Amino acid sequence: MTVTAPPTTRAGAGGPDLTRAALSGRRRFSNHLATTAIWAAVLLAVIPLALVTYEVVIKGSGVMSLSFLTEDIPNSYRREGGGMAPAIVGTLLITGMAALMAIPLGVFGAIYLNEYGKQSPLARLIRLMADVMTGVPSIVMGVFIYISWVLLVGQQTGFAGALALACLMLPVVIRSSEEMLRLVPDELRQASMALGARKWKTTLTVVLPAAISGITSGSLLAVARAAGETAPIVIVTGIVFAPNSNLFDGFNTALPAQIFRNASQPFEAAQDRAWGAALTLIVIVLGFTIIARLIASRFAIKER
Amino acid sequence: MNRNVLSRRVLVGVAVAALALTGCGSNNNSTESGGSGGDGYASLSGELKASGASFPDAYYQEVIEAFKGEAANVTVTYNATGSGTGKKQFGEGLVDFAGTDSLVKDTDGVAADSFLYVPTVAAPITVSYNVQGVDKLQLSPETLAKIFQTDIKTWDDAAIKADNPGVELPNTPIVVAHRSDGSGTTNNFTKYLTAAAGDAWKLGSGDTVAWPASTQGGEKNTGVAQIIKQTNGAVGYVDLSDAKATQLSFAAIKNKDGQFVEPSLEGTTAGLEGAAVEADLSYNPLNAAGASSYPITAPTFIIVKAKYDDAAKAELVKGFLKYLLNDGQNLAKEIDFAPLPASLKEKALAQVDKIQG
Repeated sequence: MTVTAPPTTRAGAGGPDLTRAALSGRRRFSNHLATTAIWAAVLLAVIPLALVTYEVVIKGSGVMSLSFLTEDIPNSYRREGGGMAPAIVGTLLITGMAALMAIPLGVFGAIYLNEYGKQSPLARLIRLMADVMTGVPSIVMGVFIYISWVLLVGQQTGFAGALALACLMLPVVIRSSEEMLRLVPDELRQASMALGARKWKTTLTVVLPAAISGITSGSLLAVARAAGETAPIVIVTGIVFAPNSNLFDGFNTALPAQIFRNASQPFEAAQDRAWGAALTLIVIVLGFTIIARLIASRFAIKER
Repeated sequence: MNRNVLSRRVLVGVAVAALALTGCGSNNNSTESGGSGGDGYASLSGELKASGASFPDAYYQEVIEAFKGEAANVTVTYNATGSGTGKKQFGEGLVDFAGTDSLVKDTDGVAADSFLYVPTVAAPITVSYNVQGVDKLQLSPETLAKIFQTDIKTWDDAAIKADNPGVELPNTPIVVAHRSDGSGTTNNFTKYLTAAAGDAWKLGSGDTVAWPASTQGGEKNTGVAQIIKQTNGAVGYVDLSDAKATQLSFAAIKNKDGQFVEPSLEGTTAGLEGAAVEADLSYNPLNAAGASSYPITAPTFIIVKAKYDDAAKAELVKGFLKYLLNDGQNLAKEIDFAPLPASLKEKALAQVDKIQG
């Protein structure tokens, strides 16, 4: 560390030597140290992720089969067999409906905040409220929908669950989409304006495509968060044992609620079903991610 | 520009495909109710929604599963939300009937004369323990109260020795496990101690009580069972079904007649026979008389409307409850619930007939 420290420049070489060998031992040492530390940090971060995935896949794959995906949930916990079809249908429908409500609303809100409202008092108020809403616990949102919707229509339905999840997704979509729109360089907007495009046209054809990749990831985080919510589903949608594809009539259920319900039972059959449901949920969220990535890459402006 | 139009079409296509996918788990949602008061259950059709107590959930689900075989056109859904939520939702008209371990109070939001109690099953609450070297334990109510108040600190205490003549008890410290969540099981257990131990029990009764700081809390029956299973010297109260599933050993409890009785379904049914039944069919089997009755028994009820707006709905409720009280009672023992004694069952069936539609 002390001896081999040649000068960093050599006379007559036509400029500084930038090869690694030219670095001082001390700098090479700290470089190695930092690289090792970063790798260690990556490994540490991956360990819990890998363990969770491993555990869920190992325990979940035991019950995974076509019939698990298509059969009704057995009424009795201790009975083996049966499936999670009602919960899968419920999760797809409820989360899908929630996304259908929250994502357009959230993206439009973000467009208003970044392109029109900017720093006006109304925009600042909306931003503040969105930030506050992000921190609202999901169970509070469940109770809110229970009081304002379930008691109003006199029925626990899948749609009530979708409403609660949409309320949870909305602030996340607004804030993440706004951040993405803010990253679009002003030069793009100015160039579009200079070519004679109106503001709406600029927003629609220049700003949105430039930010679509980020907006999709942001919305997706919101969908993933919503798909894993348990408390509001348990409170506002009730439970079913056979698939109910009607969101507006009758009880419904979702995978997280079934995981919660089955995992707390002492019976092995129920616990196995909970692991299977967990694996199914992870695969569904992964599927959402892949679809969204495909859309984003198809839609985005290619830079290179 | 061309590319942009194309990609928008792709986007729409994907969206449509996604919607079609989510929609294809369809069923022909048979909500049309046209029940008739016919001879068997097969002629019934429609949908019943219920929520409430989680303690009898396993039993109700078993009955619902069996009922499907009898009445193929009826869908019964029972959501184990806890007694409090069940009563609230029943009062709000969200469910057709509710299961509850506790009686209806004024604060539950159910109008006083609008409902009927139907007793369904009962189950013993065990005092489960895990003490190495001890496989037989007898406890009197006073000793039990002192243990759960942590007045008694070790298993070789004189009070426990007095209940267990001739048993070798180790010097292990006692770890008390209780429910951390609000629970009907806690309510029944503490009510029992209040009734049986008298002045020796000082913590009162309720869905939660102020346990001493040195005790351990567990979530649900399964949580308490886990603590007992993993801790040498632990003792706690767990319902029989979960205690058996976790393979715990239980103590025999001294009943009102001075006999030490182990928790069993026979002892529980005997306790129900010894209990005084009120005119509205609410009853309290805790600390019941009778030489063979197990004293810590939790009753559970279904509450139904005295009059349903829809006659078909009333028929459905009657049909399901009759099935539960007749054929359904035979399923109880398999899953460690105690069926009603004949006398109470007759009264319950008469109560079901009072439902108007």
